[in-house]
Amino acid sequence: MKKHVNEEPPHIHMGSSKNELMLKTFLMMSVIAVASVMVLGLGAFIHILIALGTVLIIHCSIHSFQIWKGMEPTYASPASPMVAGMIVGLSMPIAAPFEITAAVAALTILAFKYGQGKYFKRKYLNPAAASKSVLLLLLSLKTLREGMLLHPHHLDLNLATAEGLQSSMWIFGRETLPFIGTNLSPAQSLFLWQTHGWIGGASSLVVLVVGSIAAYWLKFKWRIIVSTLVSMTILAAGFGVYLGGDPVLRIAFHVFTGSVIFLAFFMATEPQSTPMTNTGQYAFGFSLAVLTFGLQLFNVLGGSIIALVILNIFTDRFDKMVLKKPYGHKGVKG
Amino acid sequence: MTNHKYFFEKGGFKMDISMKHGAEKKSFRIMKPPKKAIIFMQQHIGTCNEPLVKKGERVLTGQKVGDAKGTMTVPVHSSVTGIVEDITKIYHPVSNRMETAVIVKREGKEEMESLPPVDLNDRKKIIELVREAGVVGMGGAAFPTHIKLASEGVNTFIVNAKESDPNLVCDVRLMIEKPEEIVKGIKLMAKALDVKRTIFATRTQEGEIPELERMMKAGGIEVRRVTPSYSVGSEKLLVRELMGKEVPCGKFPPDIGVAVNNVSTAYAVYRAAYLGEPLISRGLSFYTQNTGIDNLWFRTGTTVKELMGGMDEKISRYDRYILGSLMMGWATKDIQTPLLKYTSGLTAFTKKYARPYEKQLKCIRCGYCDSVCPVDIYPSLIMKADRESDVKALKRLHVEDCILCNLCSFVCPSHIRLTEHLFDGKDKLGNAD
Repeated sequence: MKKHVNEEPPHIHMGSSKNELMLKTFLMMSVIAVASVMVLGLGAFIHILIALGTVLIIHCSIHSFQIWKGMEPTYASPASPMVAGMIVGLSMPIAAPFEITAAVAALTILAFKYGQGKYFKRKYLNPAAASKSVLLLLLSLKTLREGMLLHPHHLDLNLATAEGLQSSMWIFGRETLPFIGTNLSPAQSLFLWQTHGWIGGASSLVVLVVGSIAAYWLKFKWRIIVSTLVSMTILAAGFGVYLGGDPVLRIAFHVFTGSVIFLAFFMATEPQSTPMTNTGQYAFGFSLAVLTFGLQLFNVLGGSIIALVILNIFTDRFDKMVLKKPYGHKGVKG
Repeated sequence: MTNHKYFFEKGGFKMDISMKHGAEKKSFRIMKPPKKAIIFMQQHIGTCNEPLVKKGERVLTGQKVGDAKGTMTVPVHSSVTGIVEDITKIYHPVSNRMETAVIVKREGKEEMESLPPVDLNDRKKIIELVREAGVVGMGGAAFPTHIKLASEGVNTFIVNAKESDPNLVCDVRLMIEKPEEIVKGIKLMAKALDVKRTIFATRTQEGEIPELERMMKAGGIEVRRVTPSYSVGSEKLLVRELMGKEVPCGKFPPDIGVAVNNVSTAYAVYRAAYLGEPLISRGLSFYTQNTGIDNLWFRTGTTVKELMGGMDEKISRYDRYILGSLMMGWATKDIQTPLLKYTSGLTAFTKKYARPYEKQLKCIRCGYCDSVCPVDIYPSLIMKADRESDVKALKRLHVEDCILCNLCSFVCPSHIRLTEHLFDGKDKLGNAD
């Protein structure tokens, strides 16, 4: 600053930085990771380790290359790539082969984190969701070539009827709560202790508690979380009443599967790929719930991930929806 | 006040105000008149003054040295007795332009030129006196006070004693030291405004300044405690907080029957009316890492160098000086910068004190800026529109409503100085209209 070039205000800052925000997010997700390993065992730990390791190896290689070439590093700290790695680890199904986890992690950091940022100036798509969608697409092409519209794991499911839902829930109905020894119903299992589905959703209760603390502490876009979960609950309850059967089970299934509860807190709130405006965030959450619910009813594998990626594309549109009326404009038209 | 260590802004963001915690207990230190007073002709919002004196002319303390024709202007006065050493253009610390200043070298015994006494029962005479005394809004806005006092149709007068900036405490100190004078000043202003209702808006707790509260009560002035947050110190937001109504866009508080003035301004009105003294001195909160916060009473036109010297602070230790609020004031490196009528603070930072916005990262669209904005606009979207020079979007996003409080920059985890874009956006919109 030259003698006569004055410096603009402000001269103080709240104190937090982007890296701190990322590290805190990582810390919160680590609590979920610990809970998931407790429920799912060593397999979950290896998945998380593979995802984190892959992301960090690629990040460190690119970072070193950028330093060597005298370029400004894209990520000065590994915090943001670590968050991406953790999200990949926690959003993988426990049944997925380890090499698929490594592939998703590699695609996430290379194509959708570094690549998107470099070629599109901004991340339009959630990196982990986008890379999982690419692999889902490849998997769907493979099943299509084999003459099946749906993945074999989901062929027998018919969630659009009360009986279909009931009979599909056997996979969640075989859990016993450790230490206490209580046998869990499918609905209880979905809420407390599930060994099927996403690693990050092993305990919806933990995700709810940790996610809520994180959302408050780190000021996530909470409107998306609230509108997703509330809309999903209303949709499930409404369909439960309409189709008959156990409405609690239907709500538990549609809201507490890992692909919904974990995604709502930690993926659908990813700042860059989601709307900024209040109405936009509510609409985004509502649309996410509707789309995910619809895809779940039709047994589409990775329905929530596909829904999120589709909606990410329209983020800028959501931002153009109703804006808050600024101070002094109440009662003024336009 | 005073037992708050943090303010909570909209969206739950925390602002550390521990810097001024307990500083209201420190009495004002009266600083010596400057050896050389630099009196800028422009120390208010409105038409710039023309010098009324010539080089070599002897001037008295309180003598008018600059004035202009028209309503939207107030005169400036010499803060020392001495000789006009020069009339020249020097760099203005706020407008960032070269502006005319009269430089008075202190010489001889101090002699005061007082304002002529006026009939304090005559509304018009009070307004005239306030103008002649050069009184401006001392909270930082520098809006000519006589214009506000002359507003018609005002039924409520709000005295803003919020002092919500994290480094300012001189108003509260003034309330402790000069309660009677403040009440007299407020009553005069209320008379000039011809209002029946006067509200004293403060962040002090009940019983904290008992004498002032007792006098307010006896004078029929309502004391209202306001939300402990930085943004509520803004005039328009204070109106919403106290009156439950908003000032429509493009209008001012008097348009809805409210006038807002700072508590220091009320004290300046008292000095003009009862002591015949124009606005040539005021209180200021001074801060360095060495001294902590101190409350000083200084003559306008004192340079940063002289004030630092008066506090026995070594200039060489410091890198930059912030005039006024840390949230809204400008920083300068120039130690010859004079302090103005509306300089309420001086903070000296060493080189070691980091510049929080030096290394700005890319926007991560976290939405913090949008959540904290007290006037409900979208700084992040405005930044994008400004970068793309999208005037249509700037209009749709109501950039003109920004009050430049800087809270958006304050909370940004990417350390982006968003206000730059809001300012630019306002300019672009103004040029397009």
